[in-house]
Amino acid sequence: MDTLQLIRQFLSAQYGVAPESVSLDTPCAQIGIDSLVLLELIFEFESKYHVPEPKDDIAIPATIADLVALFDSLVADQN
Amino acid sequence: MAGHRVAITGVGLVSPFGGDAGDFFTRLLCGESAITYLVANDKHCPRAIPALQCSHFNPKAALGTALAHTMDRFAQLGTAAAFSAWRDAGFSVDDNSDKPDCGVSWGTALGGTLTFEQGYRTLYIANQKRVSPLSVVMGMHNAAASHIAIKLGLGNSCLTYSVACASSAVAIGAAFRAIRGGDATLMVVGGSDAPLSCGVIRAWEALRVLASATAATAPSACRPFHRNRTGLVLGEGAGALVLEQWEHAQARGARIYAELAGYGASCDHTHLVRPDCTGQVRAISQALRDGGIAPEAVDYVNAHGTATREGDSTEIAALKTVFGTHAPKVSVSATKSMHGHMLGASSAVEAIITALSVYRHTIPPTAYLDDLDADCAGVRHVTGQPQVDIPIRIALSNSFAFGGSNAVLAFRSVAQDMWT
Repeated sequence: MDTLQLIRQFLSAQYGVAPESVSLDTPCAQIGIDSLVLLELIFEFESKYHVPEPKDDIAIPATIADLVALFDSLVADQN
Repeated sequence: MAGHRVAITGVGLVSPFGGDAGDFFTRLLCGESAITYLVANDKHCPRAIPALQCSHFNPKAALGTALAHTMDRFAQLGTAAAFSAWRDAGFSVDDNSDKPDCGVSWGTALGGTLTFEQGYRTLYIANQKRVSPLSVVMGMHNAAASHIAIKLGLGNSCLTYSVACASSAVAIGAAFRAIRGGDATLMVVGGSDAPLSCGVIRAWEALRVLASATAATAPSACRPFHRNRTGLVLGEGAGALVLEQWEHAQARGARIYAELAGYGASCDHTHLVRPDCTGQVRAISQALRDGGIAPEAVDYVNAHGTATREGDSTEIAALKTVFGTHAPKVSVSATKSMHGHMLGASSAVEAIITALSVYRHTIPPTAYLDDLDADCAGVRHVTGQPQVDIPIRIALSNSFAFGGSNAVLAFRSVAQDMWT
């Protein structure tokens, strides 16, 4: 599963966000991604891909593309 | 006590019966019990007890997926009840504009106990290293009140009281004083609890105060004032009311169920679990004095009546002390015989019952009271059928908590002039 798909699935299942409303250029704030949702997403991502959680504080990314890039970088760092 | 009068303009609940407050009250008038036999085939904690579950409640349908996801069940139940009361008072739950004169006063005994138990299971049974990042905000006792304030835009005080089984009576009393004193115009009040976790059930079993029953006898397991009563029945649920400054309610043409006229609180200061008649008398007397109410004006008492051996007889002794020769004329019923003990939510649910009794001039019975304990005699027990079309000038709702905290609310009929 690609990262965007995982984000869509999580937001749909837990927050009722329509998958089609989540695209790469969607602002995170527009679909309710706040600090708590971001933490949940990080946990979800970590459990799926077994990457270590980021040790530093993470600011809420501006867009879904930025969020995807963040998660993809965690995988890349692990490899 | 001088100050603003306080009107009750909205009621809402989530109960094991399903349906709204009106449906709930009708079921009680029929003497119908919502108690079922809970069987949980949990391999780590199998349990089978008489209990009350809100099995009709669908959190996602009531609150939406996102809101339901971020809440423990106690907050889901509470917020749904508050929304129901808010609508009943004539407001829209879609209006979250800033309302600085409106607040929340909530009660819960256990808060998010299910969330914390899930956390322990995750750590100690599933051997995971971490728990949900929402654990703190779901588990905190003030979660329900906070969600209600956020969704409805209530910017006045938002406080949560945890006083065991009197939690929501204390919350209602505090809000009553805030409105009377002019600190708020309107308060959403009530309480919620979701205690049917393994750890909570085991804890109550260890205290040996739960009613015993089989699957067949579960509906009649809770028998307050009965000679053969065996204890209380745990349940989950929530009750909410809208309290409003009288002039404010009248100005907008709101329906007023009753006036919340007095509040009394006391502490036994004698024992953690053994009730004390003197402490209860102080709370009842204070509620009457607070409302400028003569004991002879009280027509109905919704009793705390949990069906424990000592609790029921102590409460009746307190009523007889306060009312003296008037006691045999005071109608008394213990509706926990039908809706069980929702811990911190009980007082709010019983406040709704008492307000509706005053509004409809009708008193629900104590169910299954077919053999009155001699220690509980001396008042006018309502048994079998409800009392209908009777003048209720003043009604009281008693709540007596472990820890010795007592809270009593007094309700005055809007139509009381008709009865005098």
